[in-house]
Amino acid sequence: MEDYKYLFKVVLIGEAGVGKTCLVRRFTQGLFPPGQGATIGVDFMIKTVEIDGEKVKLQIWDTAGQERFRSITQSYYRSANSLILVYDVCCQASFDSLPTWIQEIETYASTKFCGYLVGNKTDKINDKEIPTHIGQQFADRYEMDFIETSAKEADNVDKLFYTIAKKLSKEAKQGELISDDTTKFNTDNTTSISNCSGCLKF
Amino acid sequence: MAASKTDATSVSSLDTVENLTDIDSIKAAFDKFCVEEVTINSDLEKLIENQGRLENKMGNMHKVIPNIQILETDSKNLSNMVAFTSTLAENVSSKVRQLDLAKSRVTSCIARVEDILDLKFCTDGVQTALQNEDYEKAASHVHRFRNLDENVLRMSLTSGESSDTLDNSFKLLHEAENKLKSIVNSKFDAAVHSGDSASVERFFKIFPLLGLYDEGLTKFGKYLSSQLSETADKSIRLAEAMGSEDKRANVMYADLATQLFEHIAKVVEVRQPIIETYYGAGRLFTLLKILQVECDRQSRQILQQFKSKRNFDHVVQQVQQSTMFQKQPASEKYEPKGLDILLSEVVLLNTRAELYLRFIKRRSTNDIEAGFQNDVNIVKEKITDVDTFLDNCDLKRLMQELIGSYILMEEYFMREMVLKAVSMDSFDTGQPTSSMVDDSFFIVKKCARRSLSSGSVDGVCAMLNHACTVLEQDFREVLHSRIRVGFPSDQYLSVAYNMVQSSLQQGKLQSSDTEKQKAQFLTTLNNAEASCEYCQSLKTMLEAEVSKSFHQSSEHTKAKLESCLSDLGAAANRFKDVLEFGFTQLQSNAVKPRVKPLADGYLSTSHNITEEDFSNFEANDPWVQNCIVQLDTMLAAFKESLTSGNYDKFVSLITSEITSQMEKAVLKTAFNRLGGLQFDKELRALVGYLSTVTTWTIRDKFARLTQMATILNLEKVTEILDYWGPNSGPLTWRLTPTEVRHVLGLRVDFRSDEIKKLKL
Repeated sequence: MEDYKYLFKVVLIGEAGVGKTCLVRRFTQGLFPPGQGATIGVDFMIKTVEIDGEKVKLQIWDTAGQERFRSITQSYYRSANSLILVYDVCCQASFDSLPTWIQEIETYASTKFCGYLVGNKTDKINDKEIPTHIGQQFADRYEMDFIETSAKEADNVDKLFYTIAKKLSKEAKQGELISDDTTKFNTDNTTSISNCSGCLKF
Repeated sequence: MAASKTDATSVSSLDTVENLTDIDSIKAAFDKFCVEEVTINSDLEKLIENQGRLENKMGNMHKVIPNIQILETDSKNLSNMVAFTSTLAENVSSKVRQLDLAKSRVTSCIARVEDILDLKFCTDGVQTALQNEDYEKAASHVHRFRNLDENVLRMSLTSGESSDTLDNSFKLLHEAENKLKSIVNSKFDAAVHSGDSASVERFFKIFPLLGLYDEGLTKFGKYLSSQLSETADKSIRLAEAMGSEDKRANVMYADLATQLFEHIAKVVEVRQPIIETYYGAGRLFTLLKILQVECDRQSRQILQQFKSKRNFDHVVQQVQQSTMFQKQPASEKYEPKGLDILLSEVVLLNTRAELYLRFIKRRSTNDIEAGFQNDVNIVKEKITDVDTFLDNCDLKRLMQELIGSYILMEEYFMREMVLKAVSMDSFDTGQPTSSMVDDSFFIVKKCARRSLSSGSVDGVCAMLNHACTVLEQDFREVLHSRIRVGFPSDQYLSVAYNMVQSSLQQGKLQSSDTEKQKAQFLTTLNNAEASCEYCQSLKTMLEAEVSKSFHQSSEHTKAKLESCLSDLGAAANRFKDVLEFGFTQLQSNAVKPRVKPLADGYLSTSHNITEEDFSNFEANDPWVQNCIVQLDTMLAAFKESLTSGNYDKFVSLITSEITSQMEKAVLKTAFNRLGGLQFDKELRALVGYLSTVTTWTIRDKFARLTQMATILNLEKVTEILDYWGPNSGPLTWRLTPTEVRHVLGLRVDFRSDEIKKLKL
């Protein structure tokens, strides 16, 4: 066995060009690659973080935003422990498309996952089109966590991923306790309703 | 030093001497002076001894002095000589340098003269060559002239006499060059126009001599493209004329694409040596870019034809709708079987395109590496250029779109076919599993392998994800819900029996229903076991195929595929969970109720027996034989309908149940010595029987009971110590000391105070 306690799948989704790849690069490699080309299909990175002294491995799937890759990216939703939905705070269109994405999540994701709404590119202060409270409102409506980030300035990027890792480890621990004293079969994939806080409920 | 020191002391001591008044101190002073005198004397003697040695040395010194004077003059001479030699050498070498300079000037002069001669030669040559239409020769003259440094040649002529001729030559040559350029251009175009491939090639080779690398490649590329387009159009027309009963009709468009790609590959193959020879390495990509434009155009045309002929977009739309509204009746859904052929062709199309793009990439990369061997950075930059170009080319984009639709349809096909297999589930007697397991896994395997053959990494990953979903969610849910129904409770239980009886009388329940239900439950159990196994082997098989198909891919790609594959392993575990769940159901509904009466039977048999009873039991067994018969009939019934793995598991389940219930019963029974013996015999018979029905070793499960029997067979209480603690030998006690005491207490003939006294 490898040296980690938990492995979580984190999947980033959202319109093309909102900075998903940059967020992942910033977090996994500490880089901000300017002139990043469009992602083809799905890219995949791994980073191990330490949460309360325990190694947690994050498998981050960075999906392409372009329409023609949609059926590829959708296949990753179900096994995701966390879905990060990203929009660009300077691009109204990327925010307007969020309901479509939510609908996609509804269709393909499992019922048990941790949802996060991320408004990226806060460094472009003068171009900001979507105020923070609007993003927060949207996240609240769909019971998602919310954060605004800047992959360029490395603002809140680590915080985003660490919060997710922390939350998922906590849930995994609780899950272990539950499966110890009740039979495993109650936690059935298709029938159980997630009991964890902050999970998406539609 | 020593002397002066003595003086000083003596002076100071003399001062004090004069002040001395009493005789003792005077004497002491006197003694002191005497000692001092002796030491001074010895010091003096030593100094006198040294005198001779010092004089000798002085003598030697005097002898050396004249030698030193000679040395001084000699070294002065030497230094003069060295200085002289050095100036001499300086003189000589400066002359050599001058000579060298002169020589190099002469050489360059000769070169220039040669250049000028060349120039003249070229000037004359070009004109005659042009007149003779010998363009190769003319071009080689121009090439030679292009390599001359015009300015240097002009500068070297300071005297005005011949500058006119030189100017004239240059003028002529420039004229000739321009003329040649336009001739080659127009001749090339004319050759292209007339389809004279020999002339096309002839003029193609002249371009680089005139420095028109890119122009030549572009023109040639366009020429090749037009040829490509012609053949491609021809093959499309041919394909259209092909009858639908032709055996390649189903993959007609994949074949068309293959022809196109193969044609381009052949063109590259044939032309690359010429380009390398006349244009040098590192320029192939310029041509490939132009060819790619035509390839994109042709591919788009083929795909358009494909889509319209196969009704592709309509099918995609229908599948999309059927996926969206899963709840709609099956009759309104798109029939998945029809997708099979279409999907195979899509996969083939992508395979060919991937293969072709890999070929183009490899060729360009190798050519660039050969062309810019010395500069790693340029190579890197150019290769990135190639990658971006190919990543953004139309063909790639079209294929990505196609794969997107493919995944949508393949997933639909897989899910619908699995659901169909489930709905058409049937089981033949004699088969432990029902048809849906084999069928479903066959479909999943087929789809996964088809996606593998597409060569698209993302497509494979997506299909692996979907395969996991279908197995883990859709298929497992079917098994799970069937298991959740539970194994029908046992008819041995009188309550259940009566209930069944009454329902039979009321005609509500057919006894065959229960049997059917039982059989279905056991089959599902077998299905779960088989699914777990199939899932593992599917993973192993796909792993092998993935590593075979993608062995050239980057580590990153491999890790991606591996991650998606590992999810299949997780799916296997989910089937194992279902199996475990099934067995817990079986335990509570089938095993427990059947074992309970057996243990009760044991309880009702006395183990506090006389000698007579004991021998009577020998002939008329009171319990164990009947128990074995009962177990045997029960096991026989299950053996038929369970897989060997599940059967072993079932036996182990029964064994555990028997041992735990027996333990409870034994601890409630009173024994005498003969009763203990009787129990030992019964236990041996039971263990003996159970060992014959399973391949697993069950003795371990009986360890506690066997140890109880050992204790119950003791002659007296203290005998336990022969087996306990340090005397236990190879035996590991599974009973705690308290339990040992408890078991000892079951013997009616053992005294409790003796048991209490035992030190365990």
